[in-house]
Formats: sequence, C-alpha cells, structure tokens
Amino acid sequence: MKTDSCLRYLEDPDANAGHLAECEECRALFGDTELPTKPIDVPQLPLATWEGASHRSWPLVLAGFVVALAAAAVLCLIAGMTPLRVVESSFRSVQSMRAFVFTSAAALRAASMGAQIAFFGAFIVVNAVLFALLRRSPRGIDA
Amino acid sequence: MLRLFVPLTIVGATLVTGMIAAPSEPFSGTMEIRSITLQQAASMVQQTAVVVSLIAVWILAAIALTLMSGREVRASSTEVRASALHCFTLGLVAVTSFVLTAIVFSYLVPFLIGIPLLFALAVFAVITKIYGMIAVFHAVGTLVAGARTRNQLDSRKWLRGDLAMSVLGVLILGALRLIPVAGPIVWGLASVFGIGSALATKFGRREPWFLRVAQAF
Repeated sequence: MKTDSCLRYLEDPDANAGHLAECEECRALFGDTELPTKPIDVPQLPLATWEGASHRSWPLVLAGFVVALAAAAVLCLIAGMTPLRVVESSFRSVQSMRAFVFTSAAALRAASMGAQIAFFGAFIVVNAVLFALLRRSPRGIDA
Repeated sequence: MLRLFVPLTIVGATLVTGMIAAPSEPFSGTMEIRSITLQQAASMVQQTAVVVSLIAVWILAAIALTLMSGREVRASSTEVRASALHCFTLGLVAVTSFVLTAIVFSYLVPFLIGIPLLFALAVFAVITKIYGMIAVFHAVGTLVAGARTRNQLDSRKWLRGDLAMSVLGVLILGALRLIPVAGPIVWGLASVFGIGSALATKFGRREPWFLRVAQAF
C-alpha cells in the first residue's frame, strides 16, 4: 500500500473500483484471478447420503410390517403360544445375563484380595481403552 | 439383481432352516423317538415364532426411531459403512466394559449406591443396543438396496429413503436370524457393530464425548 489512493480503495473498494486499473500492486492483490477451472458435471458426482433420504415409502414399510406380523401370528398359532409367553421367552436372555452378572459379583465378593485387585485392574484397563476409542472423532462423510 | 437379492435371501434362509431343522436320524418307528422328534419340532416352531415376533417389534422400533431422528440414524449408518473396523472394535470394547461395569455395580449393591448405578447402566445399554441395531439395519438396507446413482434414485418409487432402508435392513437381518447357528452369530455381530456405531457417533450427533481442557476454559 503506497499511496492515499490505495488506502481509499481499501476503505471502499466499490466506490474506488477504478483504482485497480491504475495500481499494479493492488490489481495483483485484489484483482480478478484467472484460476483454471473445470466445469463440474453434477449428475456424475457421487450420491450424497442425504439425497432422497426424507422420502417415506409407506407401502413398502407397511407391507414389510404386515408380513412380519402375519408370519409371527401364524407361527404363534401353530406353536400354541400366547403373546405373554412370547414376551417371556424373549426376556430369557436378559434373565440369563442378569443371573450371570449377579453370580459373578457374588463370586468376586468371595474371591481373594489378589483376585479382586486383578478384576478391578482389568475393569480400569478396559474402560481406559474405551475412553481412548471414544476420543476418536467419527469419520462418516469425511471418509 | 438387487431386486432378486431379498427374495433369494428369504428363500435361502427358509431352505437352510428346513435342512437343518429336518430330523437327521431316520425314523425307527418306535413311539419314544417319534415323541422326541415332535418335541424338537415344536420347540423349533416356538423358537421361530419368538424370533419372528421380535422381528415385527424391531420393524416397529425402526419405523419409530427413523421417523423421529432419521438424520442421526443415517449418520450412524454412514459411520458403520465408512469405518467398520473402528465400530466393531469399539463395540467389542463397549460390550466388555458394560459387562465388567455391571459386575462392579452389582458388587456395590450391598452399599445401596450400586442399585441406581446398575439401573442407569442397564437403561444406557438398552438404548445403545436399540439405537445401534437400527443404525445397522439402515446400513444393511443401504448396502443391499441403496441407490448408487442419481438416475437410479430418481427412477425408484418405493425403494428409497431412510424409512425404506431401515425396514429392508430389518427384513434382511431378520431372515438371516432365522438360520440356526449362523443366525444368532450374525445377529450378535450386528449388535456389536451397532453398539460401536452408536457410541462412535454419540447417537448420530457426531459430537465429541469429552471436552478437551483447552475447550472447557
């Protein structure tokens, strides 16, 4: 920036647009750049995940649900199962998991001090690894 | 080809189920063996009924969650496909952590503080599992039947959108779930991937779980 004219251009570029024609230095800094550009063929670009995502195809969704529901009803009828029995059966894995956790806790309480320290050491190590993995930012769309 | 994939998967799952469920020993004609075979068959039908009922419930959950927060489900689904290994590792470590933490909280139950902690952990684990599974359903649906080009997307009337991809994913994984032995393994792996993707994206919000010290002040 050498002259007052340069400063006036910086303060109001639109009002002093003619300055670019006079000053080579300002033209180099603020003038139109002629970068080589390639025309973009938009349809050839990869499909973004959000394109068409908000569309709701209810016939497909309802058909899928009705088919699954009908198959479940027919199978329950053949097996002679009531809905309550189905719910009970589906919770069996949760009950076995709960039994495993409580049995393990009881065994831990009864275990020696060394075993308890080793268990809590493993607990801290696993959670430290989990903490380290959770610190990584998701890749998702940047991949 | 993709239109054929879903029916072929269902037919394949049915055939494999039938082949494995069929009695392997020849019928000897005695009453005792016949009754055992019938019991096994009844048990197989009951198990299948429970699995199919659960698939129907999963479809309902997928519809509800995709309608409520489709963008988040899509973000987690993208994460499963973009960095599958990370999601799997994170899922495995998270499941191990859940189990170990549950044992530690159960250890604390006599001190009373363990009960609310255990309840909070159970709620968090269940939410993570449900959300993660639905993200995996979306990922599977998109991998199998997602549009690859804009022309393909424009030409589709029904097979497009988050809702359709989630439901399609439930149906595909549900069909695989019906295969004895392999089905529960596939479903379990999907759970691990799902829990990993849910935690990796903070339930689709794509925010860091922990603030750095410099950001906090």
